[in-house]
Amino acid sequence: MAINKKLLSLLFLLAAVLSSSAIAASFSDSDSDSDLINELVSLRSSSESGVIRLDDHGISKFLTSASTPRPYSMLVFFDATQLHSKSELRLQELRREFGIVSASFLANNNGSAGTKLFFTEIEFSKCQSSFQLFGVNALPHIRLVSPTIKNLRDESGQMDQSDFSRLAESMAEFVEQRTKLTVGPIQRPPLLSKGQISILISLIVIATPFVIKRILKGETLLHDRRLWLSGAIFIYFFSVAGTMHNIIRKMPMFLQDRNDPNKLVFFYQGSGMQLGAEGFAVGFLYTVVGLLLAFVTNVLVRVKNLNAQRLVMLLALFVSFWAVKKVVYLDNWKTGYGIHPYWPSSWR
Amino acid sequence: MAAPESQNLATPSALRNAFGSVLSVLILVLIGVLAFSIRLFSVIKYESVIHEFDPYFNYRVTQFLSKNGIYEFWNWFDDRTWYPLGRVIGGTVYPGLTLTAGTIWWVVNSLNIPLSVETVCVFTAPVFSAFASWATYLLTKEVKGSGAGLAAAALLAMVPSYISRSVAGSYDNEAVAIFALIFTFYLYIKTLNTGSLFYATLNALAYFYMVCSWGGYTFIINLIPMHVLMCIVTGRYSPRLYIAYAPFVVLGTLLAALVPVVGFNAVLTSEHFASFLVFIIIHVVALVYYIKGNLSPKMFKVAVTLVVSIGLVVCFIVVAVLVALVASSPTKGWSGRSLSLLDPTYASKYIPIIASVSEHQPPTWPSYFMDINVLAFLVPAGIVACFSPLSDASSFVILYIVMSVYFSGVMVRLMLVFAPAACIMSGIALSQAFDVFTGSIKYQLGGSSKSKDDAEDNTSTNNAPKDDASTGKTDKVEEIAKERSSKKGKKKEREPAEKPSIRSKIAKKKALVLPLEASIVALLLLIMLGAFYVIHCVWAAAEAYSAPSIVLTSQNRDGLHVFDDFRESYAWLSHNTDVDDKVASWWDYGYQTTAMANRTVIVDNNTWNNTHIATVGTAMSSPEKAAWEIFNSLDVKYVLVVFGGLIGYPSDDINKFLWMVRIGGGEFSHIKEADYLRDGQYRIDSEATPTMLNCLMYKLSYYRFVETDGKGYDRVRRTEIGKKNFKLTHFDEVFTSHHWMVRIYKLKPQKNRIRGRVKKLKSKTSSGSFTKTEKKNPWI
Repeated sequence: MAINKKLLSLLFLLAAVLSSSAIAASFSDSDSDSDLINELVSLRSSSESGVIRLDDHGISKFLTSASTPRPYSMLVFFDATQLHSKSELRLQELRREFGIVSASFLANNNGSAGTKLFFTEIEFSKCQSSFQLFGVNALPHIRLVSPTIKNLRDESGQMDQSDFSRLAESMAEFVEQRTKLTVGPIQRPPLLSKGQISILISLIVIATPFVIKRILKGETLLHDRRLWLSGAIFIYFFSVAGTMHNIIRKMPMFLQDRNDPNKLVFFYQGSGMQLGAEGFAVGFLYTVVGLLLAFVTNVLVRVKNLNAQRLVMLLALFVSFWAVKKVVYLDNWKTGYGIHPYWPSSWR
Repeated sequence: MAAPESQNLATPSALRNAFGSVLSVLILVLIGVLAFSIRLFSVIKYESVIHEFDPYFNYRVTQFLSKNGIYEFWNWFDDRTWYPLGRVIGGTVYPGLTLTAGTIWWVVNSLNIPLSVETVCVFTAPVFSAFASWATYLLTKEVKGSGAGLAAAALLAMVPSYISRSVAGSYDNEAVAIFALIFTFYLYIKTLNTGSLFYATLNALAYFYMVCSWGGYTFIINLIPMHVLMCIVTGRYSPRLYIAYAPFVVLGTLLAALVPVVGFNAVLTSEHFASFLVFIIIHVVALVYYIKGNLSPKMFKVAVTLVVSIGLVVCFIVVAVLVALVASSPTKGWSGRSLSLLDPTYASKYIPIIASVSEHQPPTWPSYFMDINVLAFLVPAGIVACFSPLSDASSFVILYIVMSVYFSGVMVRLMLVFAPAACIMSGIALSQAFDVFTGSIKYQLGGSSKSKDDAEDNTSTNNAPKDDASTGKTDKVEEIAKERSSKKGKKKEREPAEKPSIRSKIAKKKALVLPLEASIVALLLLIMLGAFYVIHCVWAAAEAYSAPSIVLTSQNRDGLHVFDDFRESYAWLSHNTDVDDKVASWWDYGYQTTAMANRTVIVDNNTWNNTHIATVGTAMSSPEKAAWEIFNSLDVKYVLVVFGGLIGYPSDDINKFLWMVRIGGGEFSHIKEADYLRDGQYRIDSEATPTMLNCLMYKLSYYRFVETDGKGYDRVRRTEIGKKNFKLTHFDEVFTSHHWMVRIYKLKPQKNRIRGRVKKLKSKTSSGSFTKTEKKNPWI
């Protein structure tokens, strides 16, 4: 029994020592944690829109060597200056939006919630090893490193293409979903600063009397009918070509053929969608027939030379006929409708 | 038409004008008949029924109006829908259509012609299409003469875009609104051309009718101010412009505010602010012109600086007030739909619910070819024709087409507003082309004698197949001459000026000829183009736009199949259930249920209360028991689901189900879309998630489905269903229509053992789960 008791007390002792050391460890942990947070906050306050620019050293300090669970999440934007020229990656635009999310987060979270998430960026040329650490080899890449993540190669925090498709709004949604923090309403900087606006207004005020004077005299560009005419025709062309569709849906001008990469596809079959070049081509066909007709009835009539008239007119007729035929053919091909007349049944 | 001139001209031309007038009246009547009859395909191919969803609501309102009178209608609180909330119908509908059809019904009946309300409703749209084409004639006549007017009217009578919204049975706001739109524009231009206060008043009244009919009236209240501004900026200000605009704004706004659904929006929302701004500007400009007229040029220069500076100050104050007002409202005073017109990418970014509606998609080029067909080719020529010469009226038409073509490019729905403009422009282009080509042929065939020229003018009106285009071409040129100096009171001044103008015109005409054979070819090609248009329009009216969607047909090897399940089940409901029973279904079928079965529904197509819709969505996506509790708390007796799996009807509830989940999940967070998707895919086969296979919608749709073919093969999803043999615990199947398209279930009554159950629950003390289920139901 005695031995048993001794053993038991020894066990208790051991447990007490262990637990106290654990507590001490956690104390020291929280100390270093608050140090880290303070450092991050000070870094953040000195950086533009609250996005901290980290290097290899910073990554190791705040992420790899900080013990998990870290008291903060970190959203890392992977940037590469040398790829800024490639517009299809949209790196600069995304970086700007990233800054907006960060600034909005800062503006909307003043208290303790503000220290739970930090927005950082790392640049490829300066910290290649960090890129390797994260296992990032394609951009654009935005990664949320949540407090518990040990292995930075863990890609669970990666922001999908769909998450930054709607720019700052969807990024904020992603952050809110993953971190349970609220980013709050996105605060975009106004298009023009206040100084610019006041300058603009004063310019307008000064210019108005002169403009009104010109208008009263009737000698502005606005009085040029040709300008109005070309404007009207252009808007017509622009709309019937379905350009708004291309802009809203961000359609490319043409696609690459899947079977044969050297071949380009300009026309898309199926009426719900169209490609850019396709729209412009048909819009041009739509417009050119009317313009030729207008040319014949308004301009060609005044030409004195009969043969010139004849030649131009036949050419115009031929082009118009071809354009209409082409559009009818394309439409039938694209939509698959079989438009047919109805004859009396006795004629069959 | 040309009556006033004819009195003073020599007898042959007077006779010719009179003949022309009679002929164009005849043509107009024929155009009206054409517009009416081309829209009857839906009645011939199907039957005389109201179409789709919204028209059923309008029909029901009209029934109420004809039964109870206008005052009851104005104050109508409908308790048969949105149970238990109800809906104030009188204050939330655009009453124009209903009042129109109600009036027609009343007039017809007081003439002892016993038409039913339904018949009147079915044929309102075709009748108003005829009116719309006559209004188009009037409008185009004001712009470019009656020849162009007739051509435009004929084109409008059968333009597919307009047919799509106005076939017989399509009893919706647009049916009368397009007429109102064109007629308002006509009266505006008429006022602009005549400067008559009478027409200005009529214009305000027409605008009032438009406001009553359709939310699209904002197009008018922005387009007309824009035109006025354009006229001012390009130095076209005249007293006629003032008369056309100022009374219109004042009277129009006052009248618009009378419509309950618009009310104070007429002065409070940004859509209307442009008109007030222009109202101020036109007054400043009018003052400047007035002072200019009264002072010597030197004094005027002094005055101008004075007035301009004072005017500017006033303007800036008002603009500042307006800006402050606009800025103080959350959406900057613009509704989401208007904003998405100004910034097309707005909706896709911020309002997915607007972006998701198929009507609000941007069109592709085939849409234009489908909806306005060959007019797309002719419009540019019309635009050019309107620029030579540019008058107040033609500048308005140009502005109209430019704005509407841009808007139609953003939203396919607005093609409807664009179509009349396209018809007007094409009418002008066609008329001008026929004028030139026939003129060339006539001149070269008939020598150069003036009398022959005159006589041929008449014959040409008879022979050409597209005669409507060339009929009034003589009038047309006169009309253009008239427009320059057209004021009602100035008839005397005009008459002496007219004869020389005609003479010079004829002299000019001889010089302006094209080669004979080329003209003949061109004429033939134009006629072919017109024929193609007719073929396309008839085809579109017959095949594409006539399906009532309440009766479905399919053509296969065995012949024609008719699926009349919807009416079968609504009739079942009205015959076999109690009058006060509540029927729950997805909102698409709300209007039809109230109108055809006369039963109370929980939600309907007027989606004004998102929470309520979300509740039904939640019930449909919940397991049976939870759904039963939600429905029971709403007093629901019957649940109606639409199921297309047996016959392959794709727009059934299973295909809409994800929207129910989304909308339900938007309000009640325990419904999560991810639970219904397997790896992001929506499926109902054996791979489907358990949540999906246990939700009410799945069970109600596929209950006993396996009995049909033994395998449970869904012909819409093209797969075998996941869970085949199951029993319903809380619902009883009471009715399944002939082709299984509509299935109606009754909620089982509460069990007698309820007391025991409660005891058991209490003894378990697992109150957590109990309250949880209760919490899910927002109505307890």
